[in-house]
Amino acid sequence: MTSRESTHRAEPPRVSVVIVDDHAIFRSGLRATLGDVISVVGEAATVEEAEVVIRATGPDVVLLDVHLPGGRGGGGAEVIHRCAAFATTSRFLALSVSDSAEDVVAVIRAGARGYVTKTISGPEITDAVQRIASGDAVFSPRLAGFVLDAFGTAAVAVDDELDRLSGRELEVMRLIARGYSYRETATELFISIKTVETHVSAVLRKLQLSSRHELTRWATERRLL
Amino acid sequence: MRPPLVRRPDGVIAGVCTGLAVHLGISPAWVRIAMVVLTLASGAGVVLYGWLWIFVPTTADRVDLGRRSGPASFMRDVDGVGAPGAGPDGGTAGAAMVGALDDAAGSAPAPGQTQTWADRARRAGRREILFGAGLLIAAAALLAQLLGVEADWGFLLPVSVVVIGAALAWSQLDEARRARVMSQAHGAKGGWGFRLLAGIVLVVAGVLVALSSSNSLSLTMTTLVAVIAVLTGVGLVLAPWGLKFWRDLETERASRVRETERAEIAAHLHDSVLQTLALIQNRADSEADVLRLARAQERELRQWLFADPTRDPGSLAERLRVTAGEIEDLYGHPVAVVAVGDALLGPGEDALAQAAREAMLNAAKHAHVAVSVYLEARADSIDVFVRDRGAGFDPDRVPADRAGIRESIHSRMQRNAGSADLRTGPDGTEVHLRLPRTSGNDLPDKASGLAGSRKDTG
Repeated sequence: MTSRESTHRAEPPRVSVVIVDDHAIFRSGLRATLGDVISVVGEAATVEEAEVVIRATGPDVVLLDVHLPGGRGGGGAEVIHRCAAFATTSRFLALSVSDSAEDVVAVIRAGARGYVTKTISGPEITDAVQRIASGDAVFSPRLAGFVLDAFGTAAVAVDDELDRLSGRELEVMRLIARGYSYRETATELFISIKTVETHVSAVLRKLQLSSRHELTRWATERRLL
Repeated sequence: MRPPLVRRPDGVIAGVCTGLAVHLGISPAWVRIAMVVLTLASGAGVVLYGWLWIFVPTTADRVDLGRRSGPASFMRDVDGVGAPGAGPDGGTAGAAMVGALDDAAGSAPAPGQTQTWADRARRAGRREILFGAGLLIAAAALLAQLLGVEADWGFLLPVSVVVIGAALAWSQLDEARRARVMSQAHGAKGGWGFRLLAGIVLVVAGVLVALSSSNSLSLTMTTLVAVIAVLTGVGLVLAPWGLKFWRDLETERASRVRETERAEIAAHLHDSVLQTLALIQNRADSEADVLRLARAQERELRQWLFADPTRDPGSLAERLRVTAGEIEDLYGHPVAVVAVGDALLGPGEDALAQAAREAMLNAAKHAHVAVSVYLEARADSIDVFVRDRGAGFDPDRVPADRAGIRESIHSRMQRNAGSADLRTGPDGTEVHLRLPRTSGNDLPDKASGLAGSRKDTG
């Protein structure tokens, strides 16, 4: 996991969080490891519960398990779709033990701002939640590797091309896949952390909006994530 | 202990005699002779045979009962039943019919029993002998009549037709049982309907002839119409019941498949996860051991759940993953592998994998932290990055007698026209291995997709 530094933010605001996971043990464990700057305002175990809790509490960030019981069987992605119906301002961070690309791509394309595995450490998840709350995207090395595999590793000059990654975006994705934090990536590329975050957000947008059929085909054919 | 009384797959008609012989521990020939003798006694042998046919299970049925023991036996069973497809045996219609009978009755071999061509040939021979014996009996009967013995053909002929028809229909009983054993019924579809129909027609015709042998043709026709009308009526009444029965059968079959899957999962979880959990409880006081066990178990379970069976186990990415797992187990620090693209293992890739292993070992050994491995296989080169967040070290101050980095990594890469860079600092160490790509090492299946995506991007 990439550990991400939050020291560059002077006084991070207290972030409200809803944890959506069907395992009570995991929810309480996560609650315990989240730092002081995060307040857990609600928990949910199913798709329906999640919708109700998110609507009632309107948290900054929803920590969302990819696999959830209830609903029409759509899991985390269905929660995001349902919440989109009442125009939630909450941002979603997908959490998963799953290794399958389909699962993660489904939840990312539904609108999650990032994806991390459940083995992530306390400080890392705290930092990821803060990042998501401030509007950034959070990529694990695996997600970055998936993006590289799906979009191809050759750069294009045009930055706004939806199906391609620009040279800078490629470089950023590569470093994240190599296990670099945002700060380390910024140092490595002689750019600011803010620029790294911009690039990652741009990649996330492409991942969500790309109609590139290879993305789905690849996701079903290979299980790398 | 006596072997259980089951109908054997290697029998001639339905395996009754063979099964009985095995159960009693005597030669099948004696049992068959006894049957024939009993048959001469007012047909008692035929009745006994039919009775045993109905009530004695086949070996396949017994396997069916005992299948919950594990999925392996189930798979074997399915394979075994599926193997002897209804091939055309014998040239004449009669031989084909007897062959069909035999196929239907007892070709489901016992689990693990392989059916050789010699077996099949021997059985086919037996069928012909049976058919020949039937012809001989008929000839003898004709001869006896010529010699003046009065035979009631008006009675014997319909009865034999009825017996053959009934046997044909009964063979469906076995067929149905077999279909239940098999998860798919493709093997049973073949002559299923035809055989059943032929059996019914024969029985009906035989009964009709027997009843109306002394009467005129018109009366026979009238009776025939009446019989068909009655049969149609009965069919209409029984159809819903039959449909329900069939649905139940389908449901049961589906639940059996589910049960098998469940058994497989249970067996796997028992062998892996439960054992590990027990170990973890034993070693609860050693944090390192618990971590190691949990991680190894997680990796194993992931492999089992998500591994792509079509994936080439000899690919570079798989090799790195396996290596990472080994090192994780050795030193207890997580080693995460991210792979973009993949390559087949050639001599160069092999050296790259060994150098990467050395780099991972060094990282796990000296840095005592998590290690990230990143593989990127492109058309022109393969890059591997091994990174740790340890304290770093000064490469110049590594003792000269430590051959690790210099020999295992640098020289090895150079010998294969590759290169190795080492970057180290307070934030950690990163080893970058690069191997220029020779053509033909792309994995064929992935090469198409990835090369394609590269082509239109570059």
